[in-house]
Amino acid sequence: MSTVENLQDVENAAGVRHGIVDVDVHPVPRSPGEISQYMQMPFRDRYQGERRSMFNNPVHGSRLDSVPPGGGPKGSDPDFLRRQLIDEYGVAYAIMLPRTFCNIQPDPDYGNAIAAAFNQWLVENWLDQNNDDGAFKGCITINHHDPQHAVREIERWAGHPHIVQVATDSGARAPFGQRQYYPIYEAIVRNGLRLGIHPGTDGMGINHQPTPGYPTHYIEWHSTMSLAFQAHLVSMVTEGVFERFPELKVVMVEGGVAWLAPMLWRLDSYWKALRSEVPWLTRPPSEYVRDHVRLGTQPLERPDSDKDLVNLLEAMDAETVLMFSSDYPHWDFDSPTRAFPKLRDEMRDAIFSGNARAFYGFPG
Amino acid sequence: MGRHVVARVSELPPGERKIVEVEGRSIGVFNVHGDYYALRNICPHQGAPLCLGDVMGTAAPSRPGEYLWEREGEILRCPWHGWEFDLKTGRSIFNPHKMRVRSYEVSVDSEQDESVETYPLSVEDGLVVLHT
Repeated sequence: MSTVENLQDVENAAGVRHGIVDVDVHPVPRSPGEISQYMQMPFRDRYQGERRSMFNNPVHGSRLDSVPPGGGPKGSDPDFLRRQLIDEYGVAYAIMLPRTFCNIQPDPDYGNAIAAAFNQWLVENWLDQNNDDGAFKGCITINHHDPQHAVREIERWAGHPHIVQVATDSGARAPFGQRQYYPIYEAIVRNGLRLGIHPGTDGMGINHQPTPGYPTHYIEWHSTMSLAFQAHLVSMVTEGVFERFPELKVVMVEGGVAWLAPMLWRLDSYWKALRSEVPWLTRPPSEYVRDHVRLGTQPLERPDSDKDLVNLLEAMDAETVLMFSSDYPHWDFDSPTRAFPKLRDEMRDAIFSGNARAFYGFPG
Repeated sequence: MGRHVVARVSELPPGERKIVEVEGRSIGVFNVHGDYYALRNICPHQGAPLCLGDVMGTAAPSRPGEYLWEREGEILRCPWHGWEFDLKTGRSIFNPHKMRVRSYEVSVDSEQDESVETYPLSVEDGLVVLHT
C-alpha cells in the first residue's frame, strides 16, 4: 500500500489532507568515505568531504536535535529522518537534495566525480533502500560547469523510479538563461524531469558572488542568497528559455519568497517598453513564471504583521507558485505547523500538497 | 501550584541541566553558577525543544567592530534557529519584553516529605524542587 493511500483519511500535522509534500530535504552521508567509495582513482583518495570554506553558520548549521540516536552526522540516518520529519508531520513525499558542493571545484573532472558519486550514494542508500513506502524522491546532482557531463549524468539516472528532478546550485559563473546550459535543459525535458535550484555555493570556489564584492558576515551572505535567485530567474525568462523548452519546469528552493511579486511587477513593467529587445517573449514575463516556475517556501519571511505577509502571498499568487519546503535538518528549518501564518484553506492545501503533486506528477 | 522534586543537588552540578516531565509539560531545570532556574522546553518561535540547546554566553551590545563576550553559562540558545534566551528569566535577548519563554521557580529543599522516598537524602545533598 502506498503512503498516499495510507494518509488519505488522516489530517496531518499541518491540517492538510493527503499528506504534505516537502520539496527540500537534505540527506547527509555518514562519512566522506561513504561518497568516495563510488569514485575512481585519483579522486577516491583525494575526496575529504569538501564543502564551502567560508560563510559557515557561526551558531550551528543544522538542528542540534537532528543527531541520530545511534550516532553519525545530522541527517545521516534514514530511520531517524523518517521519525523526525516524515512521521512527525505526515510527509507523503520528500524531495531529497544532497548538498554536494561539487560545483565549487575548478577542476571539472573532480566536480563531476563528486556529483556522480553522490548520485550513486543517494540511489543506493535513500531511494533503493530505506524507502519501502516510496516517500523519498531523489534529485540527480549535476555539475553545471560541465554541461556535457551533466547530460550524461542525467541520462545515467533518469529511468530510476524514484528520481524526479535534476538539481544544481545557484552558485554559478553565468546566469541560467544563457545558452551553454541548454543541453542540460534539453536532457531534463527529454527525460520528463524537473530542475531544482538551491543556494549554498554562491561566491565559493569558481562561482561568482551575487553581491558587489564579498559580504563580511554570514548574516549578510545568507540574507542576500535571494539575489542570485532573482538574477537566474530574470535571465531564464528574458532569454526565452521557456519558449525554447515549453515543457521545462523549475523549482527554486531556499531563496525565500517575499521578493517574487515586486520583481515580477518590475519585469512586467519594463517588458511593456522593452519587449522589442526580447521579442521572443510573447506574453508578460510573469506569465512564464506562473506557468513554469515554483518557489520552495523556506525560509519563509515573517514580518511582525501576519497581514503583511498574507498580502504578499496573495500578490505573488502563492496558491499557484509556492510549494512547502522545510530544509530539514538545517538550522533554519521551517516547521509545517509553526512557520506559517493562518492561510486560506485553498492556499494552504495548494502550498503544502497540491502544487507539488501537480509539479512532480504525484498522485492525490 | 505544584511542588515537584526533580533531582538531588549532586545530580545537577553547575552548568548541568535536567529535562523533566511535570504535569504533562516538558521543563528544563538548569544549574547556572550554583543557582537553579527552570524554563518550558518549547521554543515560542516554532516549537523546538528549546532546553536541548547550547548553554553559553552572549555578545553584549557594543560599538561596531567591538566584541564584548559576557554572561558565560547564562544564555540558552535554541537548537533549531539559534534564538538566545536568558536562563534566569526566560526572556529573549533580541526582544526581552515581547519574546520570552515561560520560566518557573526552583528551590533547594532539605525537608522530608513523601516524595523524598524515591530520592534518598543525605545532609549535604538537598533536593532540587520545581514549583509550577
